[in-house]
Amino acid sequence: MYYRMIRNDLSRSKLITMTTLIFVAAAAMLVSLAAMLTVNLTGAIDTLMVKAKTPHFMQMHTGELDMKRLSAFAEQNDEVDDYQVLEFLNMDGAKVTLGGQSLVDQVQDIGFSVQSKAFDYLLDLNGHAIQAEEGELYVPLTYMKDNTTRIGDTAVIGERTLTVAGFLRDSQMNSTLASSKRFLVSAKDYAELQSQGSVEYLIEFRLKNLSALGAFEAAYAAAGLEANGPAITYPLFRMINAISDGMMIGVILLVSLFVVAIALMCIRFTLLAKIEDDYREIGVMKAIGLRVQDIKRIYVAKYAVIAAAGSLLGFVLSLGFQGLLLENIRLYMGESDQASLGAVFGIIGILLVFLAIMAYVNGVLRRFRRISPAEAIRFGTAQQKVSGTGSLRLSRSGWLNTNVFLGIKDVLSRKKLYATMLAVLVISAFIMIVPQNLHATISSKDFIQYMGIGDADLRIDLRQTGHISEQAAEITDVLEADSAILNYVMLTTKSFPVKLENGSEERLKIELGDHSRFPIKYAEGVAPGADHEIALSVINAQELGVHVGDFLTVELQRKPVRLTVSGIYSDITNGGKTAKAVFADSSAEQMWCIFYAELADPAQIISKAGEYADRFPETKVSDMDEYIAQTFGSTRSSIEKASYAAMAVALIIIVLVTLLFMNMLVFKDRYEISVMKAFGFTNGDIQLQYLSRSVFILVAGVVLGTLLANTAGEKLAGAVISSFGASAFQFTPDPLFSYVLIPLLMAGLVLIATIIGTSGAGAIKISEHIKE
Amino acid sequence: MKKLLTGEQVVKSFGTGEEKRNVLDDVSVSIHEGEFVAVMGPSGSGKSTLLFALSGTDNVDGGRVAFDGKDLSMLGESELAELRRTQMGFVFQQPTMLKNLNILDNIVLPSMRGSRRPAGAITARARALMDRVGIAELAERDIAQVSGGQLQRAGICRALMNNPKMIFGDEPTGALNSRAAEEIMDLLSEIHAEGTTVMLVTHDAKVAARAERTLFMRDGNIVSELRLPKFDGQGLDGRIGQVTLKMREIGV
Repeated sequence: MYYRMIRNDLSRSKLITMTTLIFVAAAAMLVSLAAMLTVNLTGAIDTLMVKAKTPHFMQMHTGELDMKRLSAFAEQNDEVDDYQVLEFLNMDGAKVTLGGQSLVDQVQDIGFSVQSKAFDYLLDLNGHAIQAEEGELYVPLTYMKDNTTRIGDTAVIGERTLTVAGFLRDSQMNSTLASSKRFLVSAKDYAELQSQGSVEYLIEFRLKNLSALGAFEAAYAAAGLEANGPAITYPLFRMINAISDGMMIGVILLVSLFVVAIALMCIRFTLLAKIEDDYREIGVMKAIGLRVQDIKRIYVAKYAVIAAAGSLLGFVLSLGFQGLLLENIRLYMGESDQASLGAVFGIIGILLVFLAIMAYVNGVLRRFRRISPAEAIRFGTAQQKVSGTGSLRLSRSGWLNTNVFLGIKDVLSRKKLYATMLAVLVISAFIMIVPQNLHATISSKDFIQYMGIGDADLRIDLRQTGHISEQAAEITDVLEADSAILNYVMLTTKSFPVKLENGSEERLKIELGDHSRFPIKYAEGVAPGADHEIALSVINAQELGVHVGDFLTVELQRKPVRLTVSGIYSDITNGGKTAKAVFADSSAEQMWCIFYAELADPAQIISKAGEYADRFPETKVSDMDEYIAQTFGSTRSSIEKASYAAMAVALIIIVLVTLLFMNMLVFKDRYEISVMKAFGFTNGDIQLQYLSRSVFILVAGVVLGTLLANTAGEKLAGAVISSFGASAFQFTPDPLFSYVLIPLLMAGLVLIATIIGTSGAGAIKISEHIKE
Repeated sequence: MKKLLTGEQVVKSFGTGEEKRNVLDDVSVSIHEGEFVAVMGPSGSGKSTLLFALSGTDNVDGGRVAFDGKDLSMLGESELAELRRTQMGFVFQQPTMLKNLNILDNIVLPSMRGSRRPAGAITARARALMDRVGIAELAERDIAQVSGGQLQRAGICRALMNNPKMIFGDEPTGALNSRAAEEIMDLLSEIHAEGTTVMLVTHDAKVAARAERTLFMRDGNIVSELRLPKFDGQGLDGRIGQVTLKMREIGV
């Protein structure tokens, strides 16, 4: 009997059944995909880091290296399982050409290495440690992804010519968020290249027990060992590897939750419309003594079929789509050892979706208990209670069109009913505006200020040179004399010991100079203005356990000096561990120097960048747009894709939900529609009333959605941004897109869907509903 | 008297295929201006279907219906709606009010749609009608706050708002107690006396007794009719007796 009823019911409402099925399938597919991708991503990262034997602690260092002291430290420390010092031969991008394409514009540091012997292996695409032969060059994967080069290309490094023999996975520096990229050459080629660049050391440790990492870091700092450069730990490597794809999974998960909610809403609307349609029959079934449980079973059975079919379809689709989404993970991280677990988790995901639907259908059907058989048989419709007639009076509506008035009045009288539709519009506006604003924000120049870098036109990096101060002075002279330069600043980074409250000591890299020239945005407090003030990056402030107004004891010229923390800012540079101060110091060695400059004519940026790059070959000159593009390029394009995907999903949802909602409403209102038709209202009048309802909810939805996007959405986006080192965040939206185009798109689709969804009102026969 | 409403060989059927059944089977009827016609018959005889067919609220499957010389089958949906709004008034068994409007707003509703009259004039007419039927004080009440009889009076006010040429009533007293029913019928009689044409479907001989002509239906056909003098408020019991006798005669 159930089979026949379900079949009849499904064939009667093919369109609605298909719509619901599509949503269930989409929800199941997304949940399954998120589960599969999570399992694969974590598995692939684990596999990569295990195969590569990623160091647990890595200190980059430029300058002299006391190998004896380092060995003594490593041998004395019980936690050290193995250690090594690798060389990273820094090479200016101008000296590297791959397949005829120069890397001069690369912001990321380019370094050459030989394969490690003990751990931290550079792997080929099959996960094996590469042994480079003489004349071979292995290139980081990122250059394959952006089509910079191909296998077989000729690579010219300085005066040496090599052949691109393959691509490598680097468990440390795979991510574009890692500021350096390692190229692999043979030991012989490395020796030949050595004179072309400057050596930086990667001092690496593997520990016996990763949980001792914190203690080890402290011990390393306390020992006063080489630390002229950022230090990075195993968990940070893991996070950097996970961040891009992790964000994608996060977005899929969020969207899947949203689609599940929409699928439930569709079911609610269609189920309520069906109950309205069957109201009298339900009354009869109750009157002849069928238990509520038995009546529910008829309806539950239909949705069990839809939910099961949708979940299975979603699972199959997720198997099809996972390849596409796993492409990036597979490319950068390789295969996961637990790939088969992905399908298991995918099945768990669709089971959850199925169970959620069944629980929800049961919940909606609880209203059967409240149906009075007598009332249902007599009236054939639910005798809906309206929340009073309110103060709006048709007789006093004045200029307002009667149909528009009736539309608005209905929404205000049945707020609870329209709340669902409103919620969909609010959420849709939210999911369209937030990613769009996030994308516009991170595409804007202002964004860099949130990232700890001032708003300038040019950036000149002076590093890895033996005579930084002379060169800095020369650059200063040139900038000073250049009339095209409107404003510039030199910021010098030096390393100072900091005494912590527990008596231990750490080294802190402090950027010295005038921080008011190209100000950044502070999460808390302000930029340092006086000699006794210091500003810290968020990560440093967290690690040092200080807040704005606290003191920090820094050793200057071998004397402890108490500095007040004036502000805390977000930073993504140098591993996020920086500090800023204005005091003058001549004692500590300069680690690097950065110049920021603003041009009188911004149109000259590219030519000026070229001019300075030629003039100062030991520096790296970048125009800021390019710097941003290279640093955030892939993140920005991911967010852009996600924002368009979110928009497409939201618009589809708006159309389908409006269609279903209006369809349900016409079912519910068929008596009122008949009454109005009997008294001379045309189908056009009725449609205008429904359009007025839609517009009224639409306006409320867009306004609330926009407000929510700019408050909670901004906070949410801030949380996403904070995952890569920033904490203060404000949207810089594209107002035309976010506040004109999106609402117009929403309005257009809602109106079209309302017209289609209410077209059934024209077919309602007065005589069928008004009698009795 | 001029014919206001004519139905010629009207056919209306429900169901399809073998289950198809003619509810109106070749029915012809004419109603003259100022006439008061009642339609009686057992349940399922086609009384209400005839009323819906003649008033243009339902389409017919065969035959022709004309109102005031206009062939309803030739009118479009909006022209039919306008005809119902401006020339016809309806009173149904249930009050057929919109729940989210108060009594006054329900009454003005048909007039507010597309009327060239100012809202003030419409409201004034509604209040005057309410005063006339004795529900003036209920104007601001919600429909759930008044009795069935009061709602039906409000329904009559609504039907009269646009000065219709004809009032159609489908069991207008069917859901009322006998006292309220009598009051409603007094009101309809008054309206008829003022010149409005009335067509009522009823089971109740007391209601039909006020009509000048009663049509008796069975199985989708008009099987007989009874003509009585115009009702002047006197001799109701005798008229009821005549209607009852006719009903017995023809077995409806």
